[in-house]
Amino acid sequence: MPEMIPEPRQPVYLMLRMKPPWVFIDEIRRFVESFCACACAVAANRESQLALAVHELMQNAVPHSHDEEVDLVLEVDPDADRVEVAVTNRCTEAEFQSLKERVARMNSEPDALRHYLAEMSTSPATVRGGLGLARVRFEAQLALSVSRSGGRVTVHASGALRAPALKIPGGSNV
Amino acid sequence: MSESLPVPKNPLQVADDKYSALLASDVQGPRVVFRGTISTVNPAVILNPFVDAVHGELARLGQKRIRVDLRELEFCNSSGFKSFIHWIERIGSLPEAKRYTLHFLSNPARKWQRTSLLALSCYGVNSVSME
Repeated sequence: MPEMIPEPRQPVYLMLRMKPPWVFIDEIRRFVESFCACACAVAANRESQLALAVHELMQNAVPHSHDEEVDLVLEVDPDADRVEVAVTNRCTEAEFQSLKERVARMNSEPDALRHYLAEMSTSPATVRGGLGLARVRFEAQLALSVSRSGGRVTVHASGALRAPALKIPGGSNV
Repeated sequence: MSESLPVPKNPLQVADDKYSALLASDVQGPRVVFRGTISTVNPAVILNPFVDAVHGELARLGQKRIRVDLRELEFCNSSGFKSFIHWIERIGSLPEAKRYTLHFLSNPARKWQRTSLLALSCYGVNSVSME
């Protein structure tokens, strides 16, 4: 009997353009979680991690968007075992350089949990911001990078669709 | 001049448009219940004073363990998450004999809670447990 070769699956993508206000980010997170529950059916728990990433990146983008649109692109490629979230907003050169330096500093620490814990201890408790990117990197298991084009910055968060269980030293897995 | 927030009548019970938090008590002892969706721009403005009030009450009562009930918490953004970090730091600032632990009750349907609590348990190694 001939061997059954599974048909290649098409990558799935979602594009969304939003103009602030902030209040709709909750709705987008819920929609993304539901969308990913279908698109990422082969990967347990991935939908909640991607929804968390979208929420944090959108909440970073909206306050810095200069009242212009924020774009979200989400791509899920089961055959390539890959997911990517990209969030784009307008920014100044100075804002881009500042963000680029933050991401470079973060990526210079190869251990995502160690970096996250360091951010927890140094990020002021009463001031918003400072923890979202580290949270995306560790909790959603996505690598972060930034690019700039036409006066707009894009934060890319990408990783495996079938991400391994999160592990902590000497502790439990999730 | 900046406008100051109104002082809540009961600092052990706070609410915003989409979430609430309160200190309750039952046969198993005190329990802090968070409900709703914590996703405002800076929830620490409301939650940190609440955490401080609860912390003061628990220290006064000499509690060794407090249940923190997240089962009805749909989501918490990273800014809200900072209030739990603030709480762990407040516990860490107590003399060792007076410290208490936070025992988190999570909702398996809210999968983000497990990963967030995992990270929090690494931050507050001796202050955090979860189920």
